[in-house]
Amino acid sequence: MKQPDPTGATLINYWQRGVPVYGEPLVTRTLLFFVGLAALGLALALVRFFSPLGPLSGMNDAYAWGIWKTFNVLTLTALGSGALAVGMAAWVFNRQKLHVVMRTALVTGFLFYATGLLALGFDVGRAWNFYWVLLPWRWNAESAMLEVSVCMPLYCCVFLAFENVPLVLERFYYTGTPNTKERLKQAAPVLRRIYPFMLIGAYVLPLMHQSSLGGLLLLGGTKIHPLWQSACLPLLYLLAAGVAGVGFVTFILLIACLRYSRHLDLDILGELGNLLSCACFVFLAVRFGDLAWRGQLGKAFAFDRMSLLFLFETALILIPAVALRSRKARETPRALLNLATLACLGALLYRFIPTTIAFHPALHAVYFPAVPELLMTIGYIALGIAAFGIAVKFFAILPGDIAEWNYMFKLARQRRLASDSGD
Amino acid sequence: MTMSNGISRREAITGFLGLGGAIAGNLGLWAAAEEHPAHPVAPPDAVAMLYDNNLCTGCRACMMACNDANGLPSDTRLSSGLWDMPLDLNSKTKNIIKLCEEPEGRGFAYVKRQCMHCLDPACVTGCPFSALKKSEWGAVTWTSSLCIGCRYCEVACPFDVPKFEWDKWNPKIVKCEFCFDQRLKENMQPACTAVCPTGAVIFGKRADLLEKAKARIAASPAKYYEQRVYGEHEAGGTQVLYLSHVPFQDIGLPKLGPTSLGHYATKVTSVIYKWLSGPLFAAVLLGAAIKRNWNRHEEERPGRERKTGLREQL
Repeated sequence: MKQPDPTGATLINYWQRGVPVYGEPLVTRTLLFFVGLAALGLALALVRFFSPLGPLSGMNDAYAWGIWKTFNVLTLTALGSGALAVGMAAWVFNRQKLHVVMRTALVTGFLFYATGLLALGFDVGRAWNFYWVLLPWRWNAESAMLEVSVCMPLYCCVFLAFENVPLVLERFYYTGTPNTKERLKQAAPVLRRIYPFMLIGAYVLPLMHQSSLGGLLLLGGTKIHPLWQSACLPLLYLLAAGVAGVGFVTFILLIACLRYSRHLDLDILGELGNLLSCACFVFLAVRFGDLAWRGQLGKAFAFDRMSLLFLFETALILIPAVALRSRKARETPRALLNLATLACLGALLYRFIPTTIAFHPALHAVYFPAVPELLMTIGYIALGIAAFGIAVKFFAILPGDIAEWNYMFKLARQRRLASDSGD
Repeated sequence: MTMSNGISRREAITGFLGLGGAIAGNLGLWAAAEEHPAHPVAPPDAVAMLYDNNLCTGCRACMMACNDANGLPSDTRLSSGLWDMPLDLNSKTKNIIKLCEEPEGRGFAYVKRQCMHCLDPACVTGCPFSALKKSEWGAVTWTSSLCIGCRYCEVACPFDVPKFEWDKWNPKIVKCEFCFDQRLKENMQPACTAVCPTGAVIFGKRADLLEKAKARIAASPAKYYEQRVYGEHEAGGTQVLYLSHVPFQDIGLPKLGPTSLGHYATKVTSVIYKWLSGPLFAAVLLGAAIKRNWNRHEEERPGRERKTGLREQL
């Protein structure tokens, strides 16, 4: 059914602009599955609103932070940092090829942040006091927690949301009345005038809070194993966000294009693979430099439990770093998918381990998430997946070629004509 | 170079300032942020407790007095509702006497645990809206209306002191506040030191108690582990001081360096965020690059749109 791009017969340039997924039913069994999980999670979140934290979670006074904070926020927002990492590559370092995958990065980034903040909202014990965040004179400016509480909602609700506005308006432009169309045409230059300023905020703020998430752990002091506890935690958290961000954009592009049978643009994917390899190397350089500087390399190769965990985490990042130096690996979809997955897992592990596995309070206590706690975490993630599955069908997010875009319009016109004549 | 619809650097900076107004408005506060010296010096009016487990008989009178002074219920979960029997500090227990048995039958030792009232408390450094703060005389107190229940204090405290009411819908952070409101302000000493029959825990100025503790060590060094006062330097120094005849780690006091955690956690960020200079510098730098690339992108846009016949996507 799909026509080949008339301008290019080879593999390159398949991704030219965002194209909605068309010709597929909106409601599928997979979507219902994720909506079901999300509904269960949100129902439990509602219960949590009227219930204390104790009965719904496995948290205790020794492990006062459970997976809602340590996984949904501290770990998963790294995957949402594609909006930062790929965005900076495109707009700051002028990697022009990457503009076409920005929408995928922005939408997934927004969903990771939004669901993370949702998790946070039901995690804090006294959420009704959060209005202090609007009163700067009440801020404890030296607290990393304050920085995160101000910066993350501001980024997600203002800057990241704004970056997602054009793709929503675009749909109104193409589906709206002539009146809407005219008004949006007038609004476009205004949007373009504000856009670069918003980009500055959209990169400075996550640079701040992604590092502050690591900064949170500094006060954990000796409770956190010395292989992870380091003055470099903020920088490494940020670099891990870069690895996970680029890795996840690569991963989701491959998965989504396979799922919706889109052509792959191996030129752009190769660029992402190259970027990912560089991000991994930078992370590893700082990681090992820091360990050497603090004289902890011995602990890293002691081959005890923590050392093995460290080596596992490092291998997950080292393998893609090295393998993606080869052009062949970068431009083989299966290899790229596997390597991007490894890099994501490695970066996520780096961010998760010091919060829980390598976190040893003086008290003898164990933490394992309770069933409702797990279901809520799964629910928030499922909510993101379901929203993405719906969004790609409504908005021009996933990259495709111009022939695909035109074909979609032809199909839509035919369908409209058919329904008109049916009346 | 500058196009009619381009953005000058000045515009870029002022634009960012406008957008980040909420943060920028806080410049003064950021600048006034307290410095965290690695080894804080106690102010002359700092009060303290000195606990000496050579003198403690484990009578637990201090626990009853603490519950009374703080209006805390008895923790009767382990005693079938009979009497106060907490396992450790918890959301019903701000002060506890514990019996610690030495390995290999070498005897036993008591320990009294409560908030250490650090000179530079990690909980206070981390608390986002200063619900926990260093009050007069150095007491670390908690204000319910400022607390969002994030539990960062529990993660940060090296002594695992703050507790959270996991079973309440309107949970409080529960920890010893030096009887600040009930007694210190009324010119009385804390309930636990007031009631202690043997003088195992006593109240006074920190400087005086340190002197007293060192005098005890000098008088009979064999009775004191390492011939030193725990809390003089730990985590930058605390306002609860310990003397022990067994190793401090054996009675649950963690081995900590002499540097305050607040210093460790803020030594880099306090420079980067001073006057928000780091973020502003990043904004200017990124702004310049974005401006260059954005203008180039916009210049080439009409050509691309003509070629494809489609409006370019953002």
